[in-house]
Amino acid sequence: MSIVKTSSLSKIYNPDTVPVHALKDVSVSFEKGEFTTIVGPSGSGKTTLLNMLGGLDKPTSGTVEVDGNNITGMKDSALIDFRLQNIGFVFQHYNLIPVFTALENVSFIMLLRNRSKAEMDERAKALLEAVGLGDRFDARPKQLSGGQQQRVAVARALASGPKFILADEPTANLDSASAMNLLDIMEKMNREQNITFIFSTHDQRVIDRARRVVTMVDGAIHSDERVGEAVNG
Amino acid sequence: MTGQGLQLLKLMYLKLAWRNLWRNPKRSLITISAIVFAVFAAILMQSLNRGSHEIMVDNMVRFHTGYVQLQDYRYDEEASLDNAFLLDEALLREIREAHPRIGTLIPRIETFMLAGNDHATRGALVLGIEPEQEHAFNGLKDLLIEGRFFEQGEQMAVISEGLARRLQLRTGDTILLLGQGRFGMSANALYEISGIVQHPLRDLNNQMVYLPLAEAQFLLSAEEHVTALLIEMDADRHKDAVAAALNSRLSEADLIAYTWPEMIPELLQLLEFDLAGAYFLGAVLYLVIGFGFFGTILTMTLERMREFGMLLSVGMKRGRLALVVFWETLMLSIIGVLSGIGVSWLLLLYLHYNPIQLTGDVAEAIIEMGWEAVLPVSFAADQFYMQGVIVFGIAMVVFLFPLIKIFRLNILDASRT
Repeated sequence: MSIVKTSSLSKIYNPDTVPVHALKDVSVSFEKGEFTTIVGPSGSGKTTLLNMLGGLDKPTSGTVEVDGNNITGMKDSALIDFRLQNIGFVFQHYNLIPVFTALENVSFIMLLRNRSKAEMDERAKALLEAVGLGDRFDARPKQLSGGQQQRVAVARALASGPKFILADEPTANLDSASAMNLLDIMEKMNREQNITFIFSTHDQRVIDRARRVVTMVDGAIHSDERVGEAVNG
Repeated sequence: MTGQGLQLLKLMYLKLAWRNLWRNPKRSLITISAIVFAVFAAILMQSLNRGSHEIMVDNMVRFHTGYVQLQDYRYDEEASLDNAFLLDEALLREIREAHPRIGTLIPRIETFMLAGNDHATRGALVLGIEPEQEHAFNGLKDLLIEGRFFEQGEQMAVISEGLARRLQLRTGDTILLLGQGRFGMSANALYEISGIVQHPLRDLNNQMVYLPLAEAQFLLSAEEHVTALLIEMDADRHKDAVAAALNSRLSEADLIAYTWPEMIPELLQLLEFDLAGAYFLGAVLYLVIGFGFFGTILTMTLERMREFGMLLSVGMKRGRLALVVFWETLMLSIIGVLSGIGVSWLLLLYLHYNPIQLTGDVAEAIIEMGWEAVLPVSFAADQFYMQGVIVFGIAMVVFLFPLIKIFRLNILDASRT
């Protein structure tokens, strides 16, 4: 069963003035345990598709279903709750809360989900250790390198126990070593914990690691290649 | 959500708000300083104004009206001895039982007479009093500048300095009183002057003649009658409740209780008019500070739009996000107000013990009225907490901006900022 799928998804920006067809009738589904990249040139619609999958944007037509729930008709407040419980996000610019420590950034998401303090502390520490930051619990984002911040962002994305993680250009601001380190961590989580990752990227290093590559051109899916099997698909 | 979870979340919001406040410490400190200055200036202005008002009111209340005064209901229309009322033990008991805040009862009988020496007369306000009670209420004996105060039962008079000067009378001289008693009875008598008082109220200083109450009642053919009974209480704020209680209890006795603002509304209006200037300046000050406050919150909001977008993306509800920004606004206000109140209170305390001395004509005029030539300060509680209320009001108006921004925030637009 697909964990997230779109049906005839279209998005037109500025429909009344200068219409821009960002997505054209996109139907695609992602299975549990996949390690997928959505690639394509700038303006091809990959970020728009990622935003639709995450419920951050509304389609002009078509639907997005997450684990059998149609999220396109959900109200803002319900959608925020739904995202909290089902979807993890990793952003290009890390987007950590600058006044919180690494541990607090990760805990905060669990707190929004009403986890107990003991569970929250234990899980937040375990996640930070899993991304190799076991010794930086109390560091604030500005005390961390870009790669370390992005690893905190990955730990944060995993904190609420989401069904899948959307990562928008996660390595774009990282040097080569940090990018490889981050990809190693995410790939390991995918293999060992069956966590589903969907990336949008230009980065060949990410594409090389992916086991499925969806290529978009002009708002439509141009190709959908599987280069390996989903972990426990 | 469980109780513990909610508690933790609230703490986390407070922690987040507090730390956000110090992201740019200079900006927050400048805003807090502006609030401190506004609160400080507003309190100081009001305190100096009110300080002099309180002295005026205090003198008027103590020497003229009392906080609450009981009269025959006809006396206000026609201030005549014919409208004096019988003050017996039964009535006194009734009055004392009317309200727990009622303190000492100060009876007075008051009329206008001609006061004269052997070659001139002047209009005089003759007041029959019980000297000990009167002194306990207004420190009348402290105003003596010559001689002594009469004892109850003595046939002597104390007159004010202005009247003594005009009639060229001194202690030991005799003063003639000519007038009319109750129901047209003739009232003429000679009294030895036992003392002279310097009255703080200029009008009264020019015309007062004090007599022992029983002697005045005898002179005016009004035995056991008084024209007014002043009610003492421990604080001005109880006056309305005491007056209401008396009016309800004594409604069938042809008596009516007035509070001092009801008896001298013109004084109240004068004071309010005087305070209007301070209020206006305070309003201008707060308007300027309000814009500064708004500037800070505006910047704090706009520079975090991307962060707000991220928080909404990962599952923080708009209401909760608004709550964090609300805490930030509130914390800025609270720090500013408390510091402002603290600084003002310390300065007022200093000025209370080391008052500003007035000089020149103003000082002379004030000394002539019987007051110290200093700028008095007021510690009235409302002038402190009102600043908190005003700044809180400003904070709420300022908070509308981030509130609207958060509830209208488009996550994708925010992520592009």
